[in-house]
Amino acid sequence: MIKARGITKRYHDRMVLDGVDFLAEQKKITYVFGTSGGGKSTLLKILIGALKPDAGSVFYHDLDITSISGRELDPFRKRIGMLFQRGALLNSLTVGENIALPMREHTVLDENIIAIMVKMKLELVGLRDFEHLLPGQLSGGMQKRVALARALALDPEVVFFDEPTSGLDPIMAAVITKLIADLNRLLGITCIVVTHAVEEAMRIADKIVILYQGRVRAEGTPQEIRASSDPLVQQFITGNPDGPISFHASSKDFREDLLVG
Amino acid sequence: MKSLFGFIGRAFITFLRDLSSLTSLFGDTIVQSVVLLKDHRKQKQWPILQQVDQIGFHSLLMVLTVSGLFGIAMTVLIAFELREIGDSNYSYIPGFVTVAIFRGVGPLLTAVIVAGRVGAAFTARIGTMKVSEEILALETMAINPVRFLVVQRFLGLLLSLPALTILAGGTAVFGSFLLCSTRLGIRPEIFLREAMDALMLKDLYAGVIKATVFAMVIALIGCYRGLLVEGGAEDVGRSTMITVVTSTLTVIVLDTVLTAAFYG
Repeated sequence: MIKARGITKRYHDRMVLDGVDFLAEQKKITYVFGTSGGGKSTLLKILIGALKPDAGSVFYHDLDITSISGRELDPFRKRIGMLFQRGALLNSLTVGENIALPMREHTVLDENIIAIMVKMKLELVGLRDFEHLLPGQLSGGMQKRVALARALALDPEVVFFDEPTSGLDPIMAAVITKLIADLNRLLGITCIVVTHAVEEAMRIADKIVILYQGRVRAEGTPQEIRASSDPLVQQFITGNPDGPISFHASSKDFREDLLVG
Repeated sequence: MKSLFGFIGRAFITFLRDLSSLTSLFGDTIVQSVVLLKDHRKQKQWPILQQVDQIGFHSLLMVLTVSGLFGIAMTVLIAFELREIGDSNYSYIPGFVTVAIFRGVGPLLTAVIVAGRVGAAFTARIGTMKVSEEILALETMAINPVRFLVVQRFLGLLLSLPALTILAGGTAVFGSFLLCSTRLGIRPEIFLREAMDALMLKDLYAGVIKATVFAMVIALIGCYRGLLVEGGAEDVGRSTMITVVTSTLTVIVLDTVLTAAFYG
């Protein structure tokens, strides 16, 4: 469905992704997790065609999206939905207008039909009464749900989620996680989720990919990941502060740094 | 010395790069304007008149105040100068002020005010949208950000600025008229006759052409700088400042070029 091969990306002299292979199967939920700054968001941007990798290619069915750009990407983009980390709703439009936007732009549907569709999408995320409010009048969690409704506007085949539960209270996080599971089980939507929330991944994922220092460190079903003997993977899923992953992000020796300046 | 050349070289390369990007944004804007104007459905969603209201109507009070006061100040100065050289015949003033305003200062003054007020707002607005990933979201939804964000602003300013310029000219002359008729003893009908005699049709259309060119420059620089924002709030502020400086300077340079072309 979505297949990436040998994705490499560097920013300045820092290697963010180093030969990542990735496969998300149709109608499955694939979770990608890793440490902050570990290349997850970069991978996601490459998968949706917003960023070109330095090397490697991404296939959507048989279409290589890294070899095309601009308007050529539009047919692909109309088949996918994306939930941005902070929602990225258009602040000058109401909730209803935000959700109607992709339909108005890409379909020839009548305004009355669009109005009904907007209500249906909002009902899906439980926010039917909020159609006429501006995004700024909603809480962070509500904005994310509206953004999800917008991502679903054109009934996409694949939905990408960038940190869907970060910054939310536990109940709202659970609501979003359940929504992701429902989208997949009830509507058969392929979901690709980038997160560092391990527990939710373990609960609903069909497949988990762990990125570490720009490479795929482990991949498999939640059971396989849990049973992994790799101490780094174990540190990841238990969230242990002590282990192979140090909290020090600097490469220079501390003593040397202090003495030399 | 070497670093000075390096600095000039780098500045020149940046200038050429900006110029080429601006030209390509201009081309894109024209193409997307045609797309929008042809599509009635999309036009209904993105009413250009709403932009005219936001740009034109909301700038009106400021433009009219500044130009009215400018007309009065100019009249005071000319009257003072005439008294200094011992000439108490003020009947030159109406013609002189009218020509100076419509031919020279009016379009420039209006464009500088609008560059500071509207151009800066374009950059801040689009830049903030860039920071909050709204523009990336548009692209991901296969919606062209140029059509969505630039075209309305471009067309809105293209309609607003010439109208504002004419109104500003009229208000400046009206300011002068008030002072002349109340303090300098020039009868209203004399003022009107002198002003109309001095004004040529060419002054009006040259003003409109200038305003149209300025509108394009202000809209494009404002939107371009907004689309270029990277990072966070700091870059939005910096880009807004760059917009005001570059669009004001560009307007002043173009004003000289166009004035020379029309009257040189």
